[in-house]
Amino acid sequence: MAQERLTKGSLRRERFSTSVRRLRGFWALYKQSHIAMFGLFLVLAFIAVALAAPWVAPYDPRALVGKPFERPGEDHILGTDQVGRDIYSQLIWGSRISLMVGLFASVFSVAIGTAIGLVSGYLRGPIDTVLMRITDLFITLPSIPLMLILAAIIGRSVWNIILVIAVTGWTGTARMVRAQTLSIKERPYVEAARSVGARDSQIMFRHILPNIIPLIFANAIVGIVNAILAESGLSFLGLGDPTKPSWGLILRHANEVGAMATGRLWFIIPPGVCIMLIAIGFAFSSYSLDQIMNPRLRERRG
Amino acid sequence: MGCFDMGFKEYVGKRTLHGVVTIFLAVTLNFILFRIMPGDPTRAVSGDPRVDTATRLALIAKFGLDRPLFEQYFIYLYNLLRGELGISFVQIGRPVIDIILGRKMVNTIILMGSSMFIAFILGIVAGVFAAWRRGTKIDIFFIVFSLATYSMPVFWFGMLLLLFFSYYINIFPIAGTITPGVVHANFFEYAKDYLHHLMAPMITLGVSFFGGYFLFMRDTILDVFTEDYMLTARAKGLSNRNILFKHAMRNALLPMVSLMGVHITFLISGATMTETVFSWDGLGRLIYDSVRNNDYPVLQGIFLLMAVLVVVASILADVVNAFLDPRIKEAVD
Repeated sequence: MAQERLTKGSLRRERFSTSVRRLRGFWALYKQSHIAMFGLFLVLAFIAVALAAPWVAPYDPRALVGKPFERPGEDHILGTDQVGRDIYSQLIWGSRISLMVGLFASVFSVAIGTAIGLVSGYLRGPIDTVLMRITDLFITLPSIPLMLILAAIIGRSVWNIILVIAVTGWTGTARMVRAQTLSIKERPYVEAARSVGARDSQIMFRHILPNIIPLIFANAIVGIVNAILAESGLSFLGLGDPTKPSWGLILRHANEVGAMATGRLWFIIPPGVCIMLIAIGFAFSSYSLDQIMNPRLRERRG
Repeated sequence: MGCFDMGFKEYVGKRTLHGVVTIFLAVTLNFILFRIMPGDPTRAVSGDPRVDTATRLALIAKFGLDRPLFEQYFIYLYNLLRGELGISFVQIGRPVIDIILGRKMVNTIILMGSSMFIAFILGIVAGVFAAWRRGTKIDIFFIVFSLATYSMPVFWFGMLLLLFFSYYINIFPIAGTITPGVVHANFFEYAKDYLHHLMAPMITLGVSFFGGYFLFMRDTILDVFTEDYMLTARAKGLSNRNILFKHAMRNALLPMVSLMGVHITFLISGATMTETVFSWDGLGRLIYDSVRNNDYPVLQGIFLLMAVLVVVASILADVVNAFLDPRIKEAVD
């Protein structure tokens, strides 16, 4: 027994130090890229703003604290909206909605996709066929119209938005995980595990899944970009939570009151820039991860 | 994977079968979405104040709304096969099929087609160029530019263009498909007016799709560069230009074609946003209006039409691809 515990312990230590070494090597590559570091900086900056919102925002984002359409000035750095709410405060609080929807929707959709891809690729047979036809269906359905319809049916709230985005966004992950599972399943060590009597669930979670985790992670980050953009779009089209300040909602108001034709720049530019910067933060990070993890794309000159 | 004997015809057959199954699933999902989900729109609508009693009774009879769900499903399928999609609740009495298969569909196809074409061509050219000049300033500029446009909400870019064109320089009209109230002398006048209105939404959609095509093309070209035949081409002493256009680009175009098939769904989503911002009289705008007015029959109709369109487009893309590259049909599983 003691012997066994010893080997198990040393094995665990061995595994741990391997992953630490891998992460270090990874970080070394990541650090070299300006694009990667800029992306990471943007992401961290927005997370900081979102966390500090109650202390950073000068006003309650929902309170009428000024006259309608005030230009940017001393009292209101970015002016006020059509009913006199402070736009700067709305922007700061809006970062919470964006990050929350982005993170949760992406985590949920990646979880759904991973489960379906793993089961489908590992079990094959009729289950695989059924799951893949369902995946085909969801790939086929145009996402924004489907989201609009779902959101219209289930009602307007932040969690419904997250649900709608997750339900429509898992297909890419499912296909990727399935393809990976198919190839990893054939590797000798999986064969070995099976021959010593490992259960299916054990093989799936202990032998196959850990190998796909880096790819799933990269997928999740792309998912965040898509979810953030989808949230802004749904809010812009009027399907977001009308009581929560979100960037898409500000733009909806700007569009409704015709801020473009009257040249009210402060109403239009800042919310869009915020959406763009946070999405760029995640997009740059994911692009760099992809370049590092896909060795074929790594620097090489022929 | 053991299907070396599978011919081109069988591949097309299999792909078509998958497509039919997908459409059937889409039809079923459509039924479920609109009848079983909380709120049950169809039934709610038969109590909709906008619909008068006679029409309501006719609707209930036609769609069997007083029957069990199971029967309703078959009645729904039967009606669908006859092209019967119900009537709009907003424009009372107008059949859904007339609303969606008309001018609006043409407008959407023109907007989507033109912007996709422009993004595709520019994406390919820039992608090849950037891959060739890998690691240079131009390459990095294009990467950053395309990631930035990808990260930009389509509707916001549309709003910026509106701001620019309506407030600063008045060169493009800001809304609609033609100037309202103008009687066009002849077809060319009409086309000119139409194209003039098309410019801003087309630029919006085109820019939003450029990034995806560019990055994909660049990565594919870089992949092709590592293939053995590229080395062979170089060893043969072919000029750079020859290698780039005759070998690299031709081989990289294949994956681009199948990407286009998948991309149609994204294009529809983008078109919904763009059409809403620019009041472009197309299907995307119609979706938005229908959601706002709870016009469920119209929504159901558009949804189905789009699913069919996408399935057909992706089958076409796959088949064209398989025709060009025989390796693909072998790897179908």
